[in-house]
Amino acid sequence: MLGERLVALLRRSPAWVAVALLYALAVIVTPAMAKPAQILNVLQVTAFLGLVATGQTIALLTGGIDLSVAGVVTMTNIVATGVMMGENARIAPAVLICLGLGAVVGAFNGALIAILRVAPIIATLAMNSILFGAALVYTGGAPRGSAAPSFDVIGQGSVVGLPASALCWLVVAVVVAYAMRRTTYGRWLYAVGANERAAYLMGVPTRAVLVVAYMLSATLAVMGGLLVTAYIGNPSLGIGNQFLLTSVVAVVVGGTALTGGVGSVVGTIAGALFVTELNSFTNIAQVSTGAQFVIQGVLIALSVIAYRMIGTRAGAR
Amino acid sequence: MPINANFSRRSALKLGAGAAAASFLGFNAFGDVISDAKIIPSTEMTKGVAKSGKLRIGFSNGFSGNGWRTMNLRAMQIEAAANAAKYELITVDGQGDIAKQVNDIEDLIAQNVDALLIIANSSSAVVPAVRKAVKAGVMTVPFNLPVDGEEWHAFIGTDPVKKGGTTGKYLNDALGGKGKIVALGGLPGNSYTAGCWKGAKENFGPGIEVLAFKDASWEEDKAKVVMADLIAAYPQIDGIWADGGQDAVGGLKALVAAGRPLVPCVGDDYNGLLKMYDEDKDKNPQFKFGAVSEPSWEGIVALRTAHKLLSGESAPKRQIIQPIVIDGSNYQKFIKRNLPDGVFVDTTLSDDELKKLFS
Repeated sequence: MLGERLVALLRRSPAWVAVALLYALAVIVTPAMAKPAQILNVLQVTAFLGLVATGQTIALLTGGIDLSVAGVVTMTNIVATGVMMGENARIAPAVLICLGLGAVVGAFNGALIAILRVAPIIATLAMNSILFGAALVYTGGAPRGSAAPSFDVIGQGSVVGLPASALCWLVVAVVVAYAMRRTTYGRWLYAVGANERAAYLMGVPTRAVLVVAYMLSATLAVMGGLLVTAYIGNPSLGIGNQFLLTSVVAVVVGGTALTGGVGSVVGTIAGALFVTELNSFTNIAQVSTGAQFVIQGVLIALSVIAYRMIGTRAGAR
Repeated sequence: MPINANFSRRSALKLGAGAAAASFLGFNAFGDVISDAKIIPSTEMTKGVAKSGKLRIGFSNGFSGNGWRTMNLRAMQIEAAANAAKYELITVDGQGDIAKQVNDIEDLIAQNVDALLIIANSSSAVVPAVRKAVKAGVMTVPFNLPVDGEEWHAFIGTDPVKKGGTTGKYLNDALGGKGKIVALGGLPGNSYTAGCWKGAKENFGPGIEVLAFKDASWEEDKAKVVMADLIAAYPQIDGIWADGGQDAVGGLKALVAAGRPLVPCVGDDYNGLLKMYDEDKDKNPQFKFGAVSEPSWEGIVALRTAHKLLSGESAPKRQIIQPIVIDGSNYQKFIKRNLPDGVFVDTTLSDDELKKLFS
C-alpha cells in the first residue's frame, strides 16, 4: 500500500519528491542545512531564480526558450541602481522603467519569433547579446548608483518571520500558475506549445499568444532582477549570467518539457528550490565549483531521462 | 639591485603626468611611481631601438567593461593625450575572446605599430602572436596579466603570490595568529586567485584554521549567497580572506544579514570595501580590513616604458609593483565617499574624471 502510494506520488509530482529527498540527504550529510535560519536563507535566495524560472517556464511551454533572461536581469540591475541612486523617492520610477523595458524586450523577442519566424534560441540569444552590449555602452564599463534603502527590504527584509523576497516570488508564481491553468490565455498557451498549427486552425491567435508569452517571460526576469538588486544593493555587469543556465535547469527539473505544451509553473517552484538547495548543500559540503557545474549539467540530462521513464510529467494534462 | 622611488600620488598629480615623467626619467632605472606603491625593476634590461617621427603605439585590451579596465583605459588615454605630439595610441578590444585578441594583435602588426601593449586574455594563447610582433620589430609590453615565456620586451604588473602573502599576513596578524577563517576567490580556476591564495596560505600561522575556500567570481551577490551558506555551516567565523573587494563586501554583507558582528577581512582597493569600513567600524569593534591594490595606472607605466624603448633607451625586463596595504590607519587618504562602490581607489584619475567615467 505504502509503496503504491509512493509510486503514485512520484508519478504525480516527481520534482517535489526530489526536493524532499535532496533535503533529507543534505540534512544527513550536513546537519547545518536543518537549521531554521538556513531554511529561510535558502528560501530567500531561491526567490531570484524562482521568478526568472517562472518566466522561463512560460517560454518553454510554448515550445521555445528564452536565453535573454540573463541580459534582462543585468539590464534591470544596472538601470534600477542607476535610476534610484540610493534615494527612496526614485524607487517608483526605477521599477516602472525596468518593467517597461522588460515589456519592450519581450515584445521584440516575441515579434522576432512569432512574426519573423526566427528560431527562439537564436532570437533570444541575440537579444541577450544586445542587452549585455547595451549595458556596457550605457555604463561605459563603470556602473554607478545603488539601490534605495527602502527598496532593499524586498531583497533582505522579512515579513512575519519569512523572507520578503520568497513571499514576492511565491505570490507571483501562484498567480501565474493560476493564470496558466484557469484563464483562456493559459489554455491557448498550452495549445500553442503542444501543436501550434492545430491551435491556429482551432482559432487560437497564436502570434499574439507567443508575443505575450515572451513579454511575460521578460517581465518576470525583470522582477527577479529587481529582487537580486535589492538583495545586494549595487550594480554589477556580471549579475545576470548565472541565470542563463540555472533558469533552464530549474524549469526542466520541475518537469516542463523542452518540446512545449507539457509542464507547470508549480513544478518550476520545486525545480528552483531543488537547484538552490543543491547549490547551498554543495557549498556547505565544500564541493568545488567545477564539480558543482558538472552536477548541474548531469541533472539536466538525468531529469529528462527520469521524466521519460516515469512516463508522465508533473502536471501533465 | 632594485632601485625604488616613492613619490606620493599627490605630488605626481601636481607635477602633471608628463612633467612627472620628465622629472625622474633618466635618474632611476625607471623608478617612475605614481601612487604610494613602489615598483621594483628587474636588473635584467631590455635594449630599446630608437625610432623617429611620430610613433604609433597599439594596445590590445583583452576585454573592457569592468571598473578596473575602464579606469585603466581612461588613464592611458589621458597619458596619450598629454603626449599627442610624440605618439598616437590605437586601442583594440578583444571582448574577452582569446581568438579575437590574437586577431587583434595581428591586425596591429599589419598596421605597422611601433609598440604593442597587451593585457592578455590567456597567458599562453597569445604567445605566438606576440612572438610574431617581436619578429616584425615591434616593441612588446605585456602588462597587468603575464604572457608565458620570455619572448617579449618588458612586463609591468603585480605578483599575485606576493599580494596574497601580504593580505594573508595581515589577516593572520589581525587575528593574533589564531582563528577560523573562510576564503572567497574570484572566477573559478583563474590563475590570479590561485597565486594569491598560495601566498596567503604560506603566511597563515599554525593557529589559523581555514574552514572553507569558495569561488565567488568577484561579484558581491555571489559572495553574499556563498557566505550565507557558510554562516549556516559554521557557528564561528573569525575572519574573511578574499582576493577582491567585491568578494569581501559580499561576505561582510552576509554577516550583517545574519546579525553577526563584522570580522577582520582582506581584499583589494574596491571603494565599497573602504566605505563599508568607514560606516561600520564604530559599531563593530572587531572589524578591521587590509587591502592591496592592483593600481589602475599600470597602463601609464606601460606606455612610458614603450616610449622609452622607442627612444632608444633601455628599460627593465620586469617591473613588479609592490603591494602596499590600505587599512584603517591610512584609508582616509584613499576613500572616495561621493563616488560609487565600484571605483578602485589606487588611481591617478581625479574625482571629476571618475564622476564622468561612472555616469
